Amino acid sequence: MKTAAVLRQALSPQKVLTVAVAGNPNSGKSTLINALAGTRLQVGNWPGVTVEKKEAVLEYQGRKIRLVDLPGTYSLSPYSQEEVIARDYLVREKPDAIIDVLDATNLERNLYLTMQLLELGLPVVAALNIFDEAQNKGYRIDTGAMEEMLGAKVIPTVATRKRGMEELLDAVVDAGEGAAERRPRKLPYGGDIEAAVTEVEKKVTDLYPHLAERYPLRWLALKLLEGDRQVLQETNLGDHHALAGEASRHLQQAHGEDMEALMADARYAQAAGLTREVLRKPEASRVELTEKIDRVVLNRFLGIPIFLLAMWLMFKLTFDVGNPLVDWVDGVFSGPLTRWTKALFIWIAAPEWLGSLATEGVIGGVGTVLTFVPLIFAMMFFITFLEGSGYMARAAFVMDRAMHALGLHGKSFIPMLLGFGCNVPAIYATRTLENPRDKVLTALLIPLMSCGAKLPVYALFTGLFFAAHSTTVIWSLYVLGIVLAMAMGIFFKRTLFRGEYPLFIMELPPYRLPSLKSLMIHTWEKGKHFLIKAGTYILGMSILMWFLLNLPWGVKDKKDSVLGRIGQGLAPIFQPLGFGQWQAASSLVTGFIAKEIVVTTMGQIYGKEEEKQEEPPTLGEDLKEIGLSLGKAITEAGRNVVATFGVASLAVEEDEKTASWRGALTEQFSPLSALTFMAFTLLYMPCMVTAVAFRHEFGTWKWFGLATAYGLVLAWLVAFAIYQGGRLLGLGG
Amino acid sequence: MNLAKLSPGARGRITKIGAIGPMKRRLMDMGVLVGETVTVEKIAPLGDPIEITVKAYKLSLRKSEAEGIAVEVLP
Repeated sequence: MKTAAVLRQALSPQKVLTVAVAGNPNSGKSTLINALAGTRLQVGNWPGVTVEKKEAVLEYQGRKIRLVDLPGTYSLSPYSQEEVIARDYLVREKPDAIIDVLDATNLERNLYLTMQLLELGLPVVAALNIFDEAQNKGYRIDTGAMEEMLGAKVIPTVATRKRGMEELLDAVVDAGEGAAERRPRKLPYGGDIEAAVTEVEKKVTDLYPHLAERYPLRWLALKLLEGDRQVLQETNLGDHHALAGEASRHLQQAHGEDMEALMADARYAQAAGLTREVLRKPEASRVELTEKIDRVVLNRFLGIPIFLLAMWLMFKLTFDVGNPLVDWVDGVFSGPLTRWTKALFIWIAAPEWLGSLATEGVIGGVGTVLTFVPLIFAMMFFITFLEGSGYMARAAFVMDRAMHALGLHGKSFIPMLLGFGCNVPAIYATRTLENPRDKVLTALLIPLMSCGAKLPVYALFTGLFFAAHSTTVIWSLYVLGIVLAMAMGIFFKRTLFRGEYPLFIMELPPYRLPSLKSLMIHTWEKGKHFLIKAGTYILGMSILMWFLLNLPWGVKDKKDSVLGRIGQGLAPIFQPLGFGQWQAASSLVTGFIAKEIVVTTMGQIYGKEEEKQEEPPTLGEDLKEIGLSLGKAITEAGRNVVATFGVASLAVEEDEKTASWRGALTEQFSPLSALTFMAFTLLYMPCMVTAVAFRHEFGTWKWFGLATAYGLVLAWLVAFAIYQGGRLLGLGG
Repeated sequence: MNLAKLSPGARGRITKIGAIGPMKRRLMDMGVLVGETVTVEKIAPLGDPIEITVKAYKLSLRKSEAEGIAVEVLP
């Protein structure tokens, strides 16, 4: 056996061992992968779905090992997306070995998955993880006996401290290369089930030899007995096939249970039996730390205040940590980098438009991408911490009742909250929701959370028209967004997302301190992924917007630019809302880039031209003026996005900026139309970077399209109601 | 008697799982099986969901999900 393996190794030294990593959620699987792969980890998505896929290729003792992280699952049943992915991979790709990560403190339930992995007939190595905690609890686990019973190698590991990693890799290499002597022992399922399995196995081999080749035989027989829908479909055997129908009918009659329940019972009976054999627990169990914390954190009276405090902290930290970095990135891009590029283009005597495209379109676009990176990093860090520590499940537990009323899940609260800071990390935060329906619905409502970038717009208009009540007006806009989100949640729940609710059934894992290294690796991978994938889209869009704003090249009157013409075309739509001027419409169009650019554009359009025309501009001044235009605003996007709570300071800042053109605004808007304009800005559509986040997170433009479509309709209707209602009440127009 | 009606601290033995399809399968996969002993630990501050202990770990589920689980109350 050994020699054969060595020979194979020598003949094909480049053979890569493919190893799938399976395990329950909260078994420390991610930490174990991080400990094995470190920064070699590549994060992506499983094809066609939004479930995360992690992979890494490592070298170990001259061999290449490709680790493929399967989604964390409790079972391999065909219902949840994660489970289907895991079993499809195992059945179709037939990896050389499986690492099954088990939580040693919760052996029985973790072994339930192990039973199903063993049925696949692939070599399994069990990583008995969180072994230190089990020892501290006084658990004694006889790994030798466990190996005997499973017919698989069992390696105690502590992934957070990298203990047992080499032993694990040794065992994986042995198992994957077929050098390990033992074969997975068939675990009998009790007399009559075993007999039925044997019978079905024989029938499959006789009648459908091609199926016997394609699938692990024992697994196939078990699935046919269970009446597994997906397997029946894949094999084209239909519902009433002759292979297992009769056998399963007999079993059901004999046990008075359906086959699925019967098999779950049988597997749990094995898991329980095995646990009894190998695990010794201390008699008296003391009150555990998790229980002590939960008594406070889930307390009837304290639960919600503690939750809100935790959320406030996370929000503050995310945006306070992100903010200075965003400013720094912004400063570098809009300052030196832009200046140098301009100088370079003058030096090589490139056409003016090329320089403009390079600085405003390309550098501006790259700057936009980078300004979001600190936010994404900070958000991912805290979300990963909340998940890894076990508090995320508690947050969902505390908030579920309220969120469920809106058709959402307890975990929806966190992404929605982040939306008040910036919609972009909020959309990414929906990945904490496992179910696709919950995820999409939450993302659809996030744009109604008034983000930080909309504040400059509110600050400008309330400063001009509601100086005495600006705080009240701004808070009412936030409340309007929240109320409409509730209404839309209920609306979606009853229309597009009608039907059965996704299950809530969720483990409340013990509290654990995630390792800093694991947090860092995870955060870094996410940030990198955003940078590459989302960055490409944002850059493309940024260049597209440059053309929109600067064509035809050399246009003198802003009214004649493509943007101005679009504004003129759209203006009549806004007539019934009280702001039918092309300037307002154009500002809303550029607001797609980032909401605070509504203000920038207004400044450019309403701003007086004569100041610039006093003396003929030199080339340098020309370029300087270009630098003042939209490209710079794009790079500034990140800054205001995070200036969430700085209402007062923003208002002051706006004062000097807007001094020259506030007169024009007060002529064109009335207090009532200013209010409708703000309401419209709040609701009308997600910004460009949010659009990319939608595309990136869901793999399709569909949901962004829906968010935009309902946003525009809602914005128009609400603005119409405010404006016309206000006029009826005699508030002027 | 069903699981949703047990008060915190009460224990019960599962006699029947009325749920069907994915919910039943998920419950069974997580060890909520007929014959199993469950303890209701807590009720969320807003009255739903509930937290139970089953197979020595903690599980939370909505009352609507717990209603389908018939139990006999244990002393």
